[in-house]
Amino acid sequence: MAIAQAMCTAFKQELMLGTHNFATNGNAFKLALYAEGGGGKSSTTATLGAATTAYTTTGEIANSGSYTAGGGALTKVAPTTSGTTAFTDFADLSFTTATITAMGALIYNDTNSNKAVCVLDFTSNKTSTSGTFTVQFPTADASNAIIRIA
Amino acid sequence: MFNVGISQAGNVNVMTSNNGGLTNEQIADLAVDKIVSISDDAPAHIRQQANQFREHLKNVLYHYLLLARREERGTIIQALLSGGQKETAEYIRRL
Repeated sequence: MAIAQAMCTAFKQELMLGTHNFATNGNAFKLALYAEGGGGKSSTTATLGAATTAYTTTGEIANSGSYTAGGGALTKVAPTTSGTTAFTDFADLSFTTATITAMGALIYNDTNSNKAVCVLDFTSNKTSTSGTFTVQFPTADASNAIIRIA
Repeated sequence: MFNVGISQAGNVNVMTSNNGGLTNEQIADLAVDKIVSISDDAPAHIRQQANQFREHLKNVLYHYLLLARREERGTIIQALLSGGQKETAEYIRRL
């Protein structure tokens, strides 16, 4: 599979090295959208998964509406814990007046060399035509949050 | 021996629209998804109750979203009329 949902292996190591700071006043994180089947800009195809280490333009969708190369800035939900699980999350992100077909996304650290955090697989192509493309993040709790360490 | 934890990436939901923004119904769905999550492991009668609550909540949100959009349009129309933009105000009123 060209885009496989995963928390990137390099990210797990970088957590131990203190590379990523999800605090409200910490690092800036972004979400970029990707296409399969040559749907990326310049007819490229994304290959993203656990082995992804950083943001790449290969397979990224073309600029459209409010979507520009590199994707959109994410609003962080401060890390917290519940029971024995630590988790963090982001606010929903929307691209407007955009014509987009995307199969997945990459969350990456815009502050620290675009280092990859996790890959999101939409499982099917999601398309907006001159419309809104919204990525809704899960509820910020120990069972659903986008990044959880149990 | 110590326990090795697990790290997981959660699942996102994608909502899209064509030729304009998201509809009231889509926004109500997004809001309900944030408020109510129902475990697949929950007993059937609990799931049924939760689903009924979810539908009720969605209807309430939908109603107030409609109201919010209509009221905002009303405010915009009034601002345009005050600025002498009668044609634009009428166009927005018909949306």
